[in-house]
Amino acid sequence: MSNSPSPQDERVSRRWFLERMAWVSSAAAAGALFARAPAVASPGGPAVTPEAFGTDIRLQEVGDLTRLTMSESMTLIRTGALDPRDLVEAYADRIEAFDGTYRAYADRPSRETLLAQLARTPDDERRAPLRGMCLAPKDNCYTADLLTEGGSLVFEGFQPDYDATCVSLMRAAGGLVVGKAQMGNLAGGRARVYGTTTPTTRNAWTPDDVRYSPSGSSSGTGTAVAARLAVAGLGTQTGGSVIGPSNAQGLTAVKPTFGRISLHGVIPLSYTRDHVGVMARDAMDAAILLQVCAQPDPNDPRTLGLPRPPNYALAATPFGGDRPRVRWTTRVGVWPGYLDGDNERVNDLRRDFLAELERTPGVRVVEDVTLPADWETLTSPPLGGSHGDPTAFFIEHLREDVRNFADRLPRFLNGMLQSADTYVKVQQARNLLRHRMVTRLFNQCDVVVTSAGGAFDGVGLPLACAPIGFDTDETTGARVPRGVTLGAPPFGEERLLAVIAAYQAVTEFHRERAPDPAGA
Amino acid sequence: MRPRSQTPEPTDEELNAYILTRYRLLGIDISVLPESDEDAPMDRERLLENGRSILRQDVEAANFHIDPQFNLPSAFPAPLAAWTEEDGS
Repeated sequence: MSNSPSPQDERVSRRWFLERMAWVSSAAAAGALFARAPAVASPGGPAVTPEAFGTDIRLQEVGDLTRLTMSESMTLIRTGALDPRDLVEAYADRIEAFDGTYRAYADRPSRETLLAQLARTPDDERRAPLRGMCLAPKDNCYTADLLTEGGSLVFEGFQPDYDATCVSLMRAAGGLVVGKAQMGNLAGGRARVYGTTTPTTRNAWTPDDVRYSPSGSSSGTGTAVAARLAVAGLGTQTGGSVIGPSNAQGLTAVKPTFGRISLHGVIPLSYTRDHVGVMARDAMDAAILLQVCAQPDPNDPRTLGLPRPPNYALAATPFGGDRPRVRWTTRVGVWPGYLDGDNERVNDLRRDFLAELERTPGVRVVEDVTLPADWETLTSPPLGGSHGDPTAFFIEHLREDVRNFADRLPRFLNGMLQSADTYVKVQQARNLLRHRMVTRLFNQCDVVVTSAGGAFDGVGLPLACAPIGFDTDETTGARVPRGVTLGAPPFGEERLLAVIAAYQAVTEFHRERAPDPAGA
Repeated sequence: MRPRSQTPEPTDEELNAYILTRYRLLGIDISVLPESDEDAPMDRERLLENGRSILRQDVEAANFHIDPQFNLPSAFPAPLAAWTEEDGS
């Protein structure tokens, strides 16, 4: 069908993945993974490929530079049509004008700092392909020059002395950290005033109404990217925290396979479920940021020994003419009950999405895939949970003052109550579920449209999401985006990006930008 | 298999005592939380209720049988499989 090699999910040994994940579970249980490591320089270099640069972008039709995607901005800078200083100034203007309303950032550098950092960035697209790109990592990613507070009193005022590997890689590629994105308390729920239940960050689509949630816990990254206070960003996901805010704010995101992006320098929640994910405005931008961040890291053994990252930008490049084909023949499974939700409008959007996919050459929709045996038991607490994971890391903080954990306290104390035999059983159950998903779900389809993304987090399988239309929120009456979540087998990121890119080649939802706050 | 013994389930009070003892043993002081205040981010009543739920879930986990010969949480040198190109790269 195409000249591209087969996607990585076909080439990688699924038996190898299953065996590897068993090793990770046991190593985490033994506490072997996270010896305190010294700060190191970025272990890898930028790896952006030619496909990341688009064609036929007319700057005069764009108007506001913050409306551009990352790929468009990179392309215009490459051709000399755009001065990266103008781009950074445009984002700085917007942040200064509107972040007081959106409250997407917990800490951010001054305009002068950003421009000085830009001036030190090599004018070389090979060494610094992200030159001038304004990026928003979640506030649980360490930054040596900005506070890292994790949305919590526990880390209030914490100033790391090194960058998280994912941040280091973005910066090495020329990207600028324009702010530390607000987040739910210790990576749970929507962003709030530390230690309280008072919300801070607003959904970019309802800037004048705080009631409509930006979702969490990567709330600030979602809002920053959707409200054009950043062109793309990083979130983290232990249980839906990248996909949730991305779907709530009309973004395209990828939560990759466990281990694909280093967690070194990210405040841990669960050693076996945490993932760094990329949040962007379309499949290509997600692919570019994933390419930059998906590097092996000697400080995170979970990233080592994996198959080499493929060309994600190629996967996200539409293939063909007016009616692009999906890059690889793909069976798209539909989760049981996916079209029978409580919201009829959302059901209609989902039907439209699947109909559009069915019209895409190379796609076959497989309705009502069968879930593996014991699905409910294996995906629900206690066997589908991770109660024991966060306690060990936070014991000293818990001794200091439990009130700093606010509403999240049970999550961090419960590890003291879960018995060792249950913890071992949870690891066994995860391996059983992982094995069944790989062999008995993904034998029916290549990707699956799902309403149960949380199950993918526990077993380390990749997820992606994209906007599929708009709905009216019943509480606020606001027009808000709705999205779709797709899951894939190990290292199925290319396949996910290819499906979304083919869909976005013939739809416009991802091109809509959120409205400015009233009175702007 | 021998029939399970019919021991009475522990009461809430017994579980609370267990939970509080465990916290105290590890140096965790929850007396700084309000006893019961639904407007507070957290109170002792909700914390203990959640803790009892976690303890009772242990029973559910214990009752779920997984073949001990498969899905072991045991060490396995998985990266070696990649170095020997088992992954096909």
